[in-house]
Amino acid sequence: MALLELKHISQSFPHAKGVLPVIHDLSFTVEEGEFVAVVGPSGCGKSTMLRIVNGLMPPTSGQVLYKGRQVDGINLECALVFQSFALMPWLSVKANVELGLEARGVAPVEREKRAGVYIDKVGLDGFEEAYPRELSGGMKQRVGLARALAVEPQLLLMDEPFSALDALTAITLREELLDLWQDKSMPVHNIILVTHIIEEAVELADRILVLSTGPGRLVADLKVELPRPRNRRQEGFNALTDKVFSLIEERA
Amino acid sequence: MARQETTAKRATSVLMALLIVAIVLALFFAYRHAGGLRHMRAPQLHVSLRQLPYYAFCSFSRMLAAYVLALIFSLVYGLLAARGRAWERVMLPAIDIAQSVPVIGFFPAAIYFFVALAHGSRFGVEMAAVFLIFTSQAWNMAIGVFESVRTLPNDSLEALDAFGATGWLRLKRLLLPACVPKLVYNSILSWVAGWYYLIACEIIAVGPAHYELPGLGSYLMKSADKGRTGELIAGLLTLLAIIVLMDGIVWQPLSEWAEKFRYEFAATSEPMRPMGLLAALGAIGPFILRILRRILRPIVGTVNFAIAAIPPLPPARRPAMRRVWLLMRIGLGAMAVFFVVMALVHGTLALIRTLLQPWPAAVRQIPLATGASVLRLIAAYAISLAWTIPCAIAASESPRFARRLAPFAEIVGSMPATALFPLIVIFVIRVTGGMNLASILLILTGMQWYVLFNLLAGISQVPADLKEAVRSFGLSRFATWRKLTLPAILPSLITGSITAWGGGWNALILSEYFVYRGTTYKVFGLGAMLDDATYQSGNGLMILLTLLSMVLVVLVLNRLVWRRLYDIATDRYRIDY
Repeated sequence: MALLELKHISQSFPHAKGVLPVIHDLSFTVEEGEFVAVVGPSGCGKSTMLRIVNGLMPPTSGQVLYKGRQVDGINLECALVFQSFALMPWLSVKANVELGLEARGVAPVEREKRAGVYIDKVGLDGFEEAYPRELSGGMKQRVGLARALAVEPQLLLMDEPFSALDALTAITLREELLDLWQDKSMPVHNIILVTHIIEEAVELADRILVLSTGPGRLVADLKVELPRPRNRRQEGFNALTDKVFSLIEERA
Repeated sequence: MARQETTAKRATSVLMALLIVAIVLALFFAYRHAGGLRHMRAPQLHVSLRQLPYYAFCSFSRMLAAYVLALIFSLVYGLLAARGRAWERVMLPAIDIAQSVPVIGFFPAAIYFFVALAHGSRFGVEMAAVFLIFTSQAWNMAIGVFESVRTLPNDSLEALDAFGATGWLRLKRLLLPACVPKLVYNSILSWVAGWYYLIACEIIAVGPAHYELPGLGSYLMKSADKGRTGELIAGLLTLLAIIVLMDGIVWQPLSEWAEKFRYEFAATSEPMRPMGLLAALGAIGPFILRILRRILRPIVGTVNFAIAAIPPLPPARRPAMRRVWLLMRIGLGAMAVFFVVMALVHGTLALIRTLLQPWPAAVRQIPLATGASVLRLIAAYAISLAWTIPCAIAASESPRFARRLAPFAEIVGSMPATALFPLIVIFVIRVTGGMNLASILLILTGMQWYVLFNLLAGISQVPADLKEAVRSFGLSRFATWRKLTLPAILPSLITGSITAWGGGWNALILSEYFVYRGTTYKVFGLGAMLDDATYQSGNGLMILLTLLSMVLVVLVLNRLVWRRLYDIATDRYRIDY
């Protein structure tokens, strides 16, 4: 059984003149242990799709099945990482990371222990008592990542997580994300990453879903067979990047 | 940047406080014995429906005059204060103090001053009334202008510099448009405050002199006093109609227009949609504007053409112009200094003379009275919080509730509570038999809306991604309040509370002392003592001492409580990224 299955998902929003279709008849599955990247031009509904998967908004039509059961309301086995980090400015790093644990009723002692573990994992040891505004962009996203990992989700949802960071910081964080995902001691084995940076998708994912714009449809579903760790100079890397790029361009 | 005050800055602000209080008191005492008031003759006010439109017109004109003055003042003051650190250091604390000092307490002083200035004619009282309304409108608008210019993105300023745009062009294309959103928002608040004071200041009694200005406020008071319920209700409806019409014709379209000038890109709040009738009214404003524009365009065009036709000054004569300009500025400065010094000298002499008078026994009650008044303010503030915070939380949970609440609160909140004072007092006294509860309720009317409006504004600014994050992690309702809603509205709560307490102190003076049908209802408190001294005994020393202790308490509370809370709120609970 697939971990996640989207069946004929459509989404539209009320608009000044009638309704604005954002996603049209989108279907795909995610298997256990997969790292899936979703790429597409802006306005293709990829972030909306992520929110539907999380259960933050119901689709206008269609079904989301998680482990064979229909998603109805927030799926607490997912955790979302935001492009804007979405940290509470009035909470310390530790309190931000503990947020999801508190919501799940984890006891204070255990909460503190687990938050400490994941703060260490993302390399923020010693910053537990700092506030978000005292951190750089890269460090803020590490907090965002730790907060998501701390609830030990089965499925990690990432919405353009590296797009608000400078290129060099983004490179480091991508490597670290991959390390975390490959770390056998980590409970997270599935990631859906939404991005508009094609190289990012090619570098990280097992599979790339290409969406077209207006409204978003599935254009292609590509397997990435390149051995890890990947880099630009690797054989086949550029060929795949070009292929995804032309798929998007064709439809634009 | 945290708002860190250096010792020098603190010293300047204390100095400014002393200077302002000194100037006002000086003016007060310099003209106290001018004796203009005695020569005034009051026109008789008739409580009749036929006169109502005329009274409404009078009140509206007074409001308009005060508002135009406030607008000019706020633009000049705000733009000057934003010119540089040195300007800011002096001009901001001045506004800060002007805002927190209970202006109504100084109203008698203003009357003495203006009536003496106008040699006892009615025009002097009119000026005093307009001045009082002005003081309730100007400060927040000036701060709005200052903040808008101050927070302009550096890029925009540099872009204009790069194009060599200076002077008028810079003002027209960047500075003024940048002020529009905050100026419109604050104008709405200023009109609300203005109505509140207008109603209170149209009936003026200072010592032996009693004066009524023709207007809605005096009409309402008079009709309540005479027990003419029908006329009273007609007056209230007229007032309500003016407020609703103003809202529909002027403020709603202006607010929509002002949205264009907003700098933030991530607008998370939904635009407020006016409801049916108001939407129809909203079309009238632009229509009037079109007609005005058609009339004005040829005139403005001619003026522009004429200005353009003036040949530019030959370069050789520019230094000469500059010298003339400099001399003019020195002259004006010298004149200002002269007047201030004169007023201070006169005032200080009068002050000393007053203080040398034998102190009445009532002075000893001032500390206790202050305590009683502060307790009343705290009670009113607690009631305000008790209903506005749940309202704000409900609005954050349900956008539909927020959309319904906002226009309703806007209309009800704009209704000047001073107009309802007679009704409230009569009702509560009849029910409880005493003035204490009535006085707290009256203070409440001067506080609660500031808290509510600030909270609603704060709620609408909570970023959507934070709300999403909280939902995504499955936080319970209670946890959401604790982790997101309450911290997010804390800065607005503090700002709202500061304004509310400012309004509360003013309301206090109107609330502890009430004359109805020849009977004076009062409670033991600082406001009542001040009113007693002003209206009954006319004892200058008591007026002075009660005012001073009120100013002192306000300044101490601001420094010790509100400024600290504000610093904490802006430091830790600000949302910025």
